[in-house]
Amino acid sequence: MKKLNNVKHSKPVLQIGKMLFALAMALQLLFFTGCKHDDLSVALPNENIRPAADFIKNNYEMRLFYAALKKTGYTEQLNGAGPFTVFVPTDEAFNRQGIYSTTDFDKMNVDSLKKIIGYHILPRKLMVDDMPSNGIDIRYATLTGPELYLSRAAFNPNGGVENELYIDGVEVIRKDVVLANGVLHLLDNVMKPNYNKTVQQWLAEHADYSVFVKGLKKFNLWDQLATGVTFTIFAPNNKALENVGITDVSLNTLEVDQYLGDRLFGAYILYDRHFFISDSQVFSLINSNGAYNYFLKNDSHYMNFGGGKLYPEFKLGYGLTLRSGNTVSDVILNSATSNLTAKNDNLCSNGIVHHLVDGLVRPDQAIKK
Amino acid sequence: MIKTGFVQFAWLFAACFLLLNSGCVKVEYSKIDDPAYLRVFNNLNYVQTLGSKDNKVPFFCMLINPVLDANGIPTSAEIVGDFLDQRDAYAPPYPSHIGTSTSVNNPEYPGKENVLVGPILNGFDLSSWAQVPSGKIRIMFAYRPKNTVPFFQLENQLKKDILIDTVLNLTSKEVYTLHILQKDFVTKRTGLLLREEIFQKLPLSDSLTYVNFYNMSAKGYWEADKSLKAEDYLMASFQGGMKDEMNVFLSLYEDQSILSARAATIPGFKGKYIANVKLNTATSDVSPYVSFPIWASNTTNGITTNMWQRFDFFVPGMDISNNPFYEASIDNGGNWVSVNCLQNGKVRMTSNDNAVILPNLLVNIHSGVNNPKTFATVNTVEVVNGRVYLTTIQRKYAPPIY
Repeated sequence: MKKLNNVKHSKPVLQIGKMLFALAMALQLLFFTGCKHDDLSVALPNENIRPAADFIKNNYEMRLFYAALKKTGYTEQLNGAGPFTVFVPTDEAFNRQGIYSTTDFDKMNVDSLKKIIGYHILPRKLMVDDMPSNGIDIRYATLTGPELYLSRAAFNPNGGVENELYIDGVEVIRKDVVLANGVLHLLDNVMKPNYNKTVQQWLAEHADYSVFVKGLKKFNLWDQLATGVTFTIFAPNNKALENVGITDVSLNTLEVDQYLGDRLFGAYILYDRHFFISDSQVFSLINSNGAYNYFLKNDSHYMNFGGGKLYPEFKLGYGLTLRSGNTVSDVILNSATSNLTAKNDNLCSNGIVHHLVDGLVRPDQAIKK
Repeated sequence: MIKTGFVQFAWLFAACFLLLNSGCVKVEYSKIDDPAYLRVFNNLNYVQTLGSKDNKVPFFCMLINPVLDANGIPTSAEIVGDFLDQRDAYAPPYPSHIGTSTSVNNPEYPGKENVLVGPILNGFDLSSWAQVPSGKIRIMFAYRPKNTVPFFQLENQLKKDILIDTVLNLTSKEVYTLHILQKDFVTKRTGLLLREEIFQKLPLSDSLTYVNFYNMSAKGYWEADKSLKAEDYLMASFQGGMKDEMNVFLSLYEDQSILSARAATIPGFKGKYIANVKLNTATSDVSPYVSFPIWASNTTNGITTNMWQRFDFFVPGMDISNNPFYEASIDNGGNWVSVNCLQNGKVRMTSNDNAVILPNLLVNIHSGVNNPKTFATVNTVEVVNGRVYLTTIQRKYAPPIY
C-alpha cells in the first residue's frame, strides 16, 4: 500500500520536473535567439498619399499658395524626397496682401516671388516639439537661404502652459500637419522678408510713406537708416501724418531750426531694437509683460509700446502712447493703436518696419523752447 | 534520487544562466588623485524680457584643462560642465534637483553632472562639490546657445565665444566655491571669484545655526537707473540692489505657518544686529560666520522648532527702530532690503512686506521616531546685483533613533 502510494506520488512530480526542465530549456533557447533581429518587412504605408505639394493642392484653403508654388516651379521639388517644413499662408492671408485670384501672381516678378515662396519652406522637418520652449528669435535657414525668425511661447515661468508660435511676426494658426515628406504649418499672414533692403530703401520704395520720408530727410534723420544699426520703425502713412497736421505742402514751410526733429519725426523710430509685433504677445505670455517703455533719442519724451491680440478680432496689433516724461503726472501727447496686422512686420536687413495708422506729434508739440 | 539530481541540475543551470547574462559587465572606476573640491555658480543672471531679447544669454560650458585645435577651438577637456545656467535662488545641501528635473540646464556645477563628488569631510556632506585635480588648472567658460546639444557637438562657429580663460591654483583637499560675476555694471566687465571655504575647519556647535553674508554685486549697480535693471517682482526690495556697506539685522519668528512679518518674534531676537557686509568682488576673504541658537524659542521641545528667520539689511545709521520706510516699500534707494527665510521659500506673505522669500535655514525632516526633527545647518547668503541667494550646507547629523 505504501509502495503503491509512493509510485502514485512520484510519477506526477517527475512529470512536472520534466515539464519544467523542458520549459527552462525552451526559455534559454528563447534568450539566445531573442537577440537576433531579422529585418521585418512591414506592409508599406501608402507613401503617395500626401507629399507636400499634393497635400497643398488638395486643400482649397491653400489655393493661392499652390498657384504660387506652381508658378515658381516648386511643386516637383516639394513632391520629392524632402524632408520639408512648409509654412503655408492661407488664401485669406494672401487676400490681405491684395492677391485674390491665381492670375494675380502673373503680374508679379517671378524671381522675387520665387524668393518669397522659398522663404516659406525649410529644407528640414521641424515639428513644434523640435522648437525650443520659450525660444525667442530662433533662426532657421530657409530654402532660399536667408533665415527666418521663430518665437515660441510654451510656458509661463510663474505658472501656466501656453501654446503659441510666431514666424517672422506671423501667427501660426495650425501646427504640425504631418506630410509624407515633412510637416506643414498654416500661417495667418504672408511673411515679408526684404533680404538685402535696408529700412531706408524699403521706405523709399513705398509711396504711401512719402511725407514721412520727406520729414525724415528734412530733419536729418534719413541717412542713419541706411547704416548697420538696428531700427524698429513705426511708419505713419501720409493719411496718418495728415491727422496731426503734416502734409507734403506744410512740410515745405516748416522751419527746421524751430522744431525738435527727434520728437516730430524721431518719435516713430525705435533705436537698437528689432521688435516684431508678436514679440509683445509672446513676452506677455511667457513673462507676463509685453510692454516696452523708452525715452525718445535726444528727447525728454517717453514712449510706451505694447502689442498683443487686440479686441474684438484678436489679431495682432500694437499701441503707442507718447508722454511728456516718465512720471505719472506727465501728460499724454497722443496715442495710436495700429491693427492692420498684414501691413506690419516688414523685415529688412537692418530692422523692421511697421505700419502706423495715426500720427503721434503735431508740429506745435515739438517747438523748440 | 532523480529529484535531487534535477534540483542540482536546476541550480547549475540557474548559475550558468546568471553568469551568461551578467558576466560581460566590466566596471571601470574613475579616480582623481589628490583632488580639490570645487563648486561653481554662474551669477550672471538675466530675465527674458522684450527689451533684452537680443542680448547674449549668459549660458556657458565650463571646460577644465581644455584641448584646443590649431584654430583655438576647444576639441575636448579633462572636465566638462556643460549647460551651466544662471544659479538658482536656493542651493540645497544635497543636489536634489537631479531627481526632480527633466531639463539639461544646470544651475550649478557639479549639480546634475554625474561626476566624482567630495566625501563627508569633518562632518560636512560635500555631495555638492566635485572632485577636480589639484594644482594649476586652466579653466574656460565658453558661451553656448541655449539648446540641448552637447558643447562638443555644436558647429565650430558656435564654440569660439569664450567669456573667461584663466588659470586657477587649487590646493589638495581644500573646498572651493567659484563664482562667475559681473564686476562692473557700467563697463559690463566680468570675472571670477574663487573662495577657499573654511567651514569644514571650524569647531561648530550642533545646536547653533551659522550664516555668513557676502555682497558680490557689480560696482555701480545700486546707483544705476532703474530702467537699466531687470524687473522681477519676486525680488521685491532687492531689485534695485543695496548700498556698498550694509548692516544685517536678524529677527527670529515663532511660527512659520503664520505668513506675516508682523507676527510674534522670539524674545531677544527682533532686529538684532549680527553682521556688517561690504561689497567685494575682488578678494576671496571668507566672511565671519555668525550664529543663532536653534532652540531660541520658549515653545520648542528640543526636538523640533517652527521658527523662521528674517534678515534686514540697513545702511549704517539706520536700523529697525528708526526705519523711515513704509513696510512694503520696495524702492528704497538701496538703503533697506530684506529677506524672509521660511518653509520651502515658495510661499507669499499675507502681510504687507518688502522681502524676498527664501527657504528656511533650518532643516526640518523625519528622523527615526521624530517627525519632523530640526537640524542645524551652515549657510551663506549672497547678494548679487538685484538678487539674493541662499546656500545651505548640510552637516552630518546624528543617526535616527527608532
